[in-house]
Amino acid sequence: MTQAMEELPGIDRIRKRFVAMLSDRQTQIAGHGLAAWDGKTVEEINGNLSGAQAILHQIAGSAGSLGFEELGKAARRCEVQILDHLAGPDADLAICPVELISDLDAFVATCRKEIEAHA
Amino acid sequence: MRILAVDDDPIILELLGQFVEIIGTHELTTAESALDALDMLDDPDTGSIDCFMLDIQMPGMDGIELARRIRETARHADTPILMLTAMSDKRYIDAAFAAGATDYVTKPFEIAELKDRISVVEGMAEARQQRTKKIFAAKSAADQASQVALFEPISIYDVDNVIEYSSMENYVAQLSRSALFGSTTFAFSIREIETFHAAMSAFEFYSLISDVAEVISDTLQGHQFLMSYAGSGTFVCITESGWRPNMKGLMESVNLELSQTELFDNYGQRIHPRVSAGQAVRLIWKSGNSVMDALAQAHSSAEAASQAHTRAMANYWQVNQTA
Repeated sequence: MTQAMEELPGIDRIRKRFVAMLSDRQTQIAGHGLAAWDGKTVEEINGNLSGAQAILHQIAGSAGSLGFEELGKAARRCEVQILDHLAGPDADLAICPVELISDLDAFVATCRKEIEAHA
Repeated sequence: MRILAVDDDPIILELLGQFVEIIGTHELTTAESALDALDMLDDPDTGSIDCFMLDIQMPGMDGIELARRIRETARHADTPILMLTAMSDKRYIDAAFAAGATDYVTKPFEIAELKDRISVVEGMAEARQQRTKKIFAAKSAADQASQVALFEPISIYDVDNVIEYSSMENYVAQLSRSALFGSTTFAFSIREIETFHAAMSAFEFYSLISDVAEVISDTLQGHQFLMSYAGSGTFVCITESGWRPNMKGLMESVNLELSQTELFDNYGQRIHPRVSAGQAVRLIWKSGNSVMDALAQAHSSAEAASQAHTRAMANYWQVNQTA
């Protein structure tokens, strides 16, 4: 985050709100990840991956502006992985790649560390 | 300026609120979805909006469709639309500019960058509005004094894939940050544009430019492209997807279409505009200013081709008279 962002009068309040929302968002991402992993149909798997991607997209969009650069980059990496899978050759198969779930799991763990650090 | 920001992330809306507060010269209104934004625009109590900031990925209607819907309203034909989005893929950038975006800022954003972009789009909007006023003032009075200068890149509305020249520059700036493999720029120039410009009122000239733009756009349909009127009768195009245009063939197609389109001036006289095409310049391995240089090269080669055609025609008549 740049000096200019630091100087925004309400930046601490926004950062606190971001962390509070991160708590809900990481739970939702974990829920979508688990449901995709357990999914039996293409719709179930891809629908849950899309759900996780939409939340990752929001985190990637605001984290960097609030001083959570690494978290934002990690969210973007997971988002791109999901988008690539959904646009790739396996998108019409009932397959949820293990690497994708493993990276989502690592992202959720990173979120939890951030939440604890700002508790 | 009164800015309407549309984003489904409340954190971004709150950040923008703070941003507007510190720069102090603007007022922010927010909506959490495209449909809420459209409702607000329909509501007379909302008042005027001078600039839009749109996220792309939102549940329901996305920001690109919202930009298209905003541009459909006459009231916001010239209002700057700044896409503020984490979507940095080229297909989103192309779609956003084709839908009418003025500029594109990727999240996470920095205050200084956003401030600069807003001040640039503010200046652009004023210039566009001035030109549009001049054109439509001259429509009723046929007032040559208010004529738009030949070199001015006037705005063209409601022609598919035609964007504002300043938006084209912003589009190129975004493109230069990504791979340009398969991208090519080329241009068409209306022959003897100075003669048309000198003989026509501002509105007639605007109509001529719009009609030619429509013919070029129709001829290019089926290919991915964006084009822009750069002034002086020249249209600059950028295409992607590896298509290498055959410029001679394209020029002939455009001119055939123009010959089959009945175009008239204000006195009911049929006019016969034709175009010359310049070189197709590939953008591969170009970045930053060299992309703009490639556009300039395409532009100047089309104008040179147009002038060469005019000279050749003059020589042809001279030779015939001598004989």
